[in-house]
Amino acid sequence: MTASTWTTTLGRWTRVAVRRGFLWPTIAVVAVLLLSPLLSTSTELKWTLWLAFGILALSLTLVWGISGIFSFGQNAFFGIGGYTFAVAAFNIYPATGETLSALLIAACVAALFTALLGYVTFYGRVGDVYLAIVTLAVTLILYTVMSSTAGPEYRIGKAYLGGFNGMPSVPGIAFGTGELGYGGLFAFAVCLAGALYIFARFLLTGQYGQILAGIRENEMRMELLGYNVRFHKLGIFLVGGAIAGIGGGLFTAWGTFINPSVFSLQQAALVVIWVMVGGRGSLVGAFVGVAVVQWISDQADKIVAQQTPLILGIMLLAMVLAFPGGIVPAITRWLDRTWNSSKRKLDTIDVAPTPTPRTDTKPESENEGTPLPSGHIMAHHLGKRFGGSVALDDVTLEFGQHNIHAIVGPNGAGKSTLFGLISGQHKVTKGDVELNGLDVTRMPTHQRARHGLGIKLQVPSIFLGLSVQQNIALALNAPRKYKRTRPPATTVFAMIGLLEKKHEAASNLSHGEQQWLEIGMLIAQNPSVMLFDEPAAGMTQEERKRTVELIKKLSIHHTVIVVEHDMAFVRALGAPVVMLYRGNVFRHGSFDELSNDNDVRNIYLGRKRGA
Amino acid sequence: MDEIVVIGLSVLTSVAILLLTSLGLAVVFGLMRIVNMAHGEFLMIGAFTTTVAVRSLELPIWLAILCAPIVCGFVGALVELAFIRPLYGRRLVDTLLATFALSLILYQVAINIFGTAPPGIGTPSGWIEIGRYTVSYYSLFLPVAALVITALLYVLFKFTRYGLLARAAAHNPDMASVLGVEVRRVNLVTFALGCALAGLGGGLLSPMVAVSPGVGQTYIGQAFMTVITGGPAFLLGTLSASVLLGGISNIVSQLFTTLWGLTALLVTAIVLVRLLPNGISGSWSRQL
Repeated sequence: MTASTWTTTLGRWTRVAVRRGFLWPTIAVVAVLLLSPLLSTSTELKWTLWLAFGILALSLTLVWGISGIFSFGQNAFFGIGGYTFAVAAFNIYPATGETLSALLIAACVAALFTALLGYVTFYGRVGDVYLAIVTLAVTLILYTVMSSTAGPEYRIGKAYLGGFNGMPSVPGIAFGTGELGYGGLFAFAVCLAGALYIFARFLLTGQYGQILAGIRENEMRMELLGYNVRFHKLGIFLVGGAIAGIGGGLFTAWGTFINPSVFSLQQAALVVIWVMVGGRGSLVGAFVGVAVVQWISDQADKIVAQQTPLILGIMLLAMVLAFPGGIVPAITRWLDRTWNSSKRKLDTIDVAPTPTPRTDTKPESENEGTPLPSGHIMAHHLGKRFGGSVALDDVTLEFGQHNIHAIVGPNGAGKSTLFGLISGQHKVTKGDVELNGLDVTRMPTHQRARHGLGIKLQVPSIFLGLSVQQNIALALNAPRKYKRTRPPATTVFAMIGLLEKKHEAASNLSHGEQQWLEIGMLIAQNPSVMLFDEPAAGMTQEERKRTVELIKKLSIHHTVIVVEHDMAFVRALGAPVVMLYRGNVFRHGSFDELSNDNDVRNIYLGRKRGA
Repeated sequence: MDEIVVIGLSVLTSVAILLLTSLGLAVVFGLMRIVNMAHGEFLMIGAFTTTVAVRSLELPIWLAILCAPIVCGFVGALVELAFIRPLYGRRLVDTLLATFALSLILYQVAINIFGTAPPGIGTPSGWIEIGRYTVSYYSLFLPVAALVITALLYVLFKFTRYGLLARAAAHNPDMASVLGVEVRRVNLVTFALGCALAGLGGGLLSPMVAVSPGVGQTYIGQAFMTVITGGPAFLLGTLSASVLLGGISNIVSQLFTTLWGLTALLVTAIVLVRLLPNGISGSWSRQL
C-alpha cells in the first residue's frame, strides 16, 4: 500500500471518529495521561475511584437515560463484578501473575447475571416499575446473602467470601509483571473509562442508537414496525450489566478489597444521583455527575461526619423535586439561553445521530402502472374474550380480493379488537389468523410486521421525542422479511408533506400532522397489508379529503383495510363494506347496499330492530 | 409427629411475618400504585414506637403495639402532603425516587436518635409444650393477628362507603372526581392507612426481631416481591403470595440455612413473575 492511500484511509477514519464523537474522549485520555505525573498520589487514588464509579454511572445512563429502562440493579451488577474479580484474582493471580482475565471474567459473570434477570423481566412483560423493584429486591437480597457468607465453608477455590467483613488483600490490576502501582492503576483506569465511553458512543451513534431511542420513546410503535423490542432491551441491559461489572472489578482492584456494602441501598441511591446530576441522557454527564456528587459529599463529610445517607437523601429529594432533568443539563440550558449561542430545535439527547436516508434502492411504487401483488388477510372463526365479556364472538373474514376494505359498526362492535387480533396486540381466544398465506395466530406482533403488516392506530402512535426525519428513518430501516424494498425518504415526504418540518420534534406537530407522520411511517415501512384505525378522527374536512385520496393511491400497491365511523369518508372510499355488530359480522356489501338496509340503519340510529 | 406440628407452626409464623410486613404495601402499592420505597422505614418507625413505649413509657406491650399504627398513620399523612401529592401525575419513577430519598433520610435520622444497635424488648412470656419442644404463645398469636387484620381490611374495602370511594379514587381518579369523590382527601386517608398498617406490622414484629434502624431494609424487598406476585387482588392476592413465598422460604430455611430460604423466596418470586406476569390473582375475577 502506498503512502497516499494510507493517508486517505487515515483521513477517512479520522472523519468518522470526529463525526461519531470519538475524538474528544481520545484527546481527553491522552491529556490526562500526559498530566498525570503532576498529580499527587492521593489525587490519583481519588480519581481512580471516581473513574470506577463513573463507569458504573455510564452503565445506568445507557440503560436508563438512553433506553428508558429504570434499573436499581446497576450497583448489584457492579457488586457482582467486584466480587467476581476478587474471587477470580485470588485463584488466577498466583498461577499467571496477571488479573486482566479476572476483569474479563467479572464482566462476563455480571453480564450473565444481568441476562438472566433481564430475560425474566422483559420476556415476562413485566412493567417498568416492576423492573425497578425486582432489581432493587435482588440487590438487597444479595446484600443479605453476601453478609451471611462468613464461615470457612463459603469458599470458591482459594477465595473466602468473608461475610459481612468482605474480602481483603485482593490482588490489584496486573499484566504479568506484578501489580500496578497507584500511577499505573490510574493510567489503566483512564484508558479503560475512555475505551468504554467510546464503545458507548459507538453503540449510540449507529443504527443501534436509533433503535434504543425508538424503544425509549414508544415501545408499541417499535413492535408494530417489526423491531424485536424485548430482544433489544435485553441486549442493552446486558451491555449495561457488563460495563457495571467492569466498573466493579476496577473498584475492587482500586481498594484491593470488597464487602457487601456495594449492595447497600446507599450505593443504589448514589448511582441514581450521579446520573440525575449529570443528566440522564448524557454520556459525559455520567463522569461529571460522579465528580460533582463525590466532591460535594466529601466536603459535606468534613462538616458533618458520617451522615452520608441523610445527605444523599436530601440531594436525591432536591433533584427529584427541583431538577428532574438533571443539574448539568439545567446549567447548560441556562447558559445556552443566556448566550443564545446556538439555536437547537430538539431538546433531546445529543448522541442521537442524523440519519442518512437510503437512496440506493429504487422503489416499485415509482412505476405506478404495475401494481405489486396485494396482501392477504384471513380471519377464521376468530373470537376474543376479555375476562367474562365477549369482545369478538365468531368472525370469519377475508381481505385481499379488493384493494380497499372498509369495516364499520357501532361502538363495541369489535372493530378495534379485530385489529388487535390481526396485529397481535391481543391474544386470540379461538380461531386463527392468516397473513399472506402464513398462519400467524401465535406469532408476536413484531414478526407479523416483518411479514408485511402495517397498522395506523386511532391515536397517533409516533416517537414524540424524536424528529420527523428520525421517525421516518426508524420505519425505513425496520427489519422485514417480505420482498418489498424501502422507498426513498423523498418519496415518503412527497406523499405526506412535512419536508420543511423534518428537523422538528414530532411532539411539536399539530394533531393532524402527527396523523400524517404516522401514515408516512406506514408508507416507509411499505407492508403488503395496511390497517387504518379511524384515520379521519380529529381531521378537518380538507384533511379528510386528502386522506381519502392518499388511501386510494396507497391501495395501488397495498391492501388497505380501514375502520371508520365517518360515513361520508367510507362512501368516498368506494370500497366493499363489512359491518360488525356485537362481535359478529352483521352485513357484507357495497356502501349503497348497506346504507339502504333497514336493520343497519336501525342499529346506527339506535332504533329497535324490526321497528 | 411433634416435629411436624412444630415445623408447621414455624411455617405459619413466617407466613404471618411476611403478610404483616406486606399488608401496608399492598394498600399503598397494590391498590394506589404508589411505589413507596420508604415502606420499610414505616415498619421501622412502628417497631421503634412500640420499643420506646415499652421501655421509656412503660406501657403494657399490647397498648404499645397499638401506638405504632397511630404514629405511623400520622407520619404517613405528613409524607403524603409533602412529597407524594406534588408528584401525582408525574412519572412513576419520580415518586419512586422521592420515597427512596425519604427512606435514606429516615434511616439516618433513626441512627442519630437510637444508634445502630439499640436495646430491644423481650418476647411476651408464656409458651406451650409440644412433646420435646416449646413454642411461645406470641409466635402463635402473630398468625391470628395477621388473619384478623386481613379480614378487617377485606370488610373495610368491600363493605364500607370509604372502601368503595378509596378503590374508585385509586382506579380512576378523574372519573371518581367527576362523580363527586374528593379524590385528594380519600387518597390522603388511604396512604395514611397503608402507613399505619406498616407501623402495626412493625409494632407486632418488634418483640420478635432485633429492632434497628436497618430493620426496614430487611423486609422491603420481600414485601415488594410479595405484593407483586400477589397481583391485582391486593388483599387476597397478597395473602396467597405470603402463604406461598413465606411457606417455601421457611421450609428451605429449616432444611438448609436462612440464607437459602431467602434465596428460595427470591427465585420463586422471579419465576412466578415470569410465568404469571399479572401475579397469582391475575386471572381471578375478584378485585380485593
